[in-house]
Amino acid sequence: MKHQRLTPLLLLLAGLFSGCTSAVESGHNTLLNSVDLVQMTDKMVRSIVADAQVQAAISKVGPLKIVIQPVDNQLTAEILPRGQAEAFTARVRALLSQKNPQQFVWILNREEFYDLRGKELDVPLGPAPEAINPQFALTAVFSSLTQETSKGRSDFYVCRYELSDLQTRGVLWSDSYKVKKSAVKGFLD
Amino acid sequence: MGLSSKLIVLALLALLPGCVSQAQRDADEGVAAYYMGDYPRAIQLIKPAAAKTNENFVLNNDRLAMAALAAYDLTTAENAFVRSYEVINSVGVNDGGRSLGAALVSENIKVWKGEPFERAMVNFYLGVIYYMRHDYGNARGAFENALFKLRDYGEQSDKNDQYHDVESNFVLAYLMLARSYQQLGRTDLAQKNFDRVTALRPDLAALADVSINAEANLVLIIDFGRGPQKEANGDGAFVGFRPTPREQGPIPLPAVTVDGRRQDLQNRIRPPVDLLAIAQDRRWESIDTIRAVKSVLGTGLIAAGIADAAIRRRPDPAVSLGLIAGGLILKATSQGDLRQWEMLPRTVFVVPVHVPPGKHDVTVEFPALPGYRQRWLGIDVPEKGDAAYYIHIDRYNSGPFQWPPAAVPPAGKVVG
Repeated sequence: MKHQRLTPLLLLLAGLFSGCTSAVESGHNTLLNSVDLVQMTDKMVRSIVADAQVQAAISKVGPLKIVIQPVDNQLTAEILPRGQAEAFTARVRALLSQKNPQQFVWILNREEFYDLRGKELDVPLGPAPEAINPQFALTAVFSSLTQETSKGRSDFYVCRYELSDLQTRGVLWSDSYKVKKSAVKGFLD
Repeated sequence: MGLSSKLIVLALLALLPGCVSQAQRDADEGVAAYYMGDYPRAIQLIKPAAAKTNENFVLNNDRLAMAALAAYDLTTAENAFVRSYEVINSVGVNDGGRSLGAALVSENIKVWKGEPFERAMVNFYLGVIYYMRHDYGNARGAFENALFKLRDYGEQSDKNDQYHDVESNFVLAYLMLARSYQQLGRTDLAQKNFDRVTALRPDLAALADVSINAEANLVLIIDFGRGPQKEANGDGAFVGFRPTPREQGPIPLPAVTVDGRRQDLQNRIRPPVDLLAIAQDRRWESIDTIRAVKSVLGTGLIAAGIADAAIRRRPDPAVSLGLIAGGLILKATSQGDLRQWEMLPRTVFVVPVHVPPGKHDVTVEFPALPGYRQRWLGIDVPEKGDAAYYIHIDRYNSGPFQWPPAAVPPAGKVVG
C-alpha cells in the first residue's frame, strides 16, 4: 500500500529527469539557420539562372568567370563566423556548378588562392601571372534590423546577393532574401 | 505516505542533484589549473566536459574559451564561445522537464546561461577574438550583442532603469565597438560610440578620444583581477555576488612599458568596467521567488513539526516527523544555483598606444601590486591599421613570452 502511494512521486521524478533534453536540442533563436541557408541559396540559384541579363552575358562572352567572396556581415548584434559566411555563397557556387556547369567557371578568391599556394607549393611565392582573372564577383551582404529587450528579441534579415562586373563595376544581377524571426523569453530564459 | 516512503523520496532528492560526472570534476580541476597559469592543462581538462551538451554546456564552453584565449589558441576559444553564444541567444532551452525540475527539485537542473553580465562578457571576448584577427565586421556584431545582453537588467524609462546604470558600468563594449567602426571606416558611427562612452563616463573622455584611437596602432586588452563570486546566504536559498567594489577597494591601474620606455598614458588608463559593481545588480527571477517560498514554507513546516511534538500532550510521532520531513524536503530543494563563470576578471583595461611599426617588447605591470606583471617579446605592430593583444594578468603568469605564441599560426596564414 505504501509503495502504491509512492509510485506517483517516483513517476513524477522519473518524468522530470527523462524529460530533460540537451542544451542544444531544445529552444530556438533568431539566428539564420540551415533552413534559411537552403531556402536562400536555392532562391538565388533559380534567380541567377533565370535572369535575362546573365543569360545575355553568357551568350556574349561564353561561360562567366566568377570569383566568390564570403558574406559581408553587416548584421546588427550578430556574428557570422567565417565557415558560415563562406557557406552562404559556397552553396550558390556548388548548386550552379552542379546544375549549369557549362555556363560558369569558378575561380578561387585571392585569399584562398594564396593560402592554398602557401600550403601546397615549396617554392618562393610571388605573383602568379598564369592565374585566371575573374570577370565577375558573386558577393553577399547580410544586414538586419534588430530589437532586443528583457522580453525577447526580433530580427528582420535582408540578405542581398550581387553578381558584379569587376571591370565596369556594373551590377549584372541582384536579388535578396528577407525573413523575420522572433523569440519570446520565458521562464528561466 | 509513511515515514519510510518520505525518507526514500528525501534520499532521492538529495542524491539526484548531487551526481557529478568525472568530466565535470576534471573541468573544475581545469579551472584551478587556469588560476595557476597552466592554460594548456586547463584546456585539456575542460575540453571533454565542454563537449557534453548537458546543463553545464554553456558554462564549460565559457571556461574552455577563457583558458584557450589566455593560451592564444584563438580557434578553440572562438569555437567554444560560438557554441555558448548560440545557446545564450536561444529561448526555451529549459522547456519541458528542465523547467519543472528546476522549480521542484533543484535549480542546478536548468541549462545554465549565466547572469546578463556573464552573457555580455561571452560576447565581449568573442568580439576581442575577431578584433585581434582583424575581422572587424564580426567584432562589431559581438560588441553590439554584448550591449544587448545587458538589457535583461531591464530597460524601463523610469527611475528604476537598472539598464542605464549597468550600461554606464559597461562602456567597455562601446569603446571596442567604436574602435571596430573606426577600423571599418565608419567614422560617423565610431564618433557616435566614442561620444556615448564620454556621455556615460566623463572620466573616460581621454580614452575615448577619436584622434588618439585613430592614431593608435597597438591596442592592449588587459584582464585584471578576480571577478565576482556567487555566494548563498546561510539558508542557501538566496544568492548574490561578493565582494562588493567597496569591500574590494579601488582597482589598481597598470603601467605600460614599450622597449624599456614607460608610456606616458596620462589619464587614458582607467577601468572601463567593474564587474564587481555590475554583479550587484543581479536580477530577481521567478525561480528566486519559488526558492524563497519553498524555503519559508520549509522552515514553517519544520517549526510546526517541532511545535507539534513539544506542545501536544499526546504527540503523534508520524505527524511531527512528517511535518519535519516535508520541511526538510522543501529546504533541500530550495537551494540556490551557485554555478557561475568564475574565471571572469574584475576589469578589462583597453590601452590604445602609438608606437613605430615593427617588433617591440611590451611589459604591463601594476606598480601598486608587486608581482602582477607580464612581459611580451617581439610584439608585432603593423604599418597600417592596428594590432590588438589580449593580456591576462595573473600572479603566476608574468612571462616573458615570445610573440607569436605556439598556438598562433605564422603571419600570413588565414585563421578561422
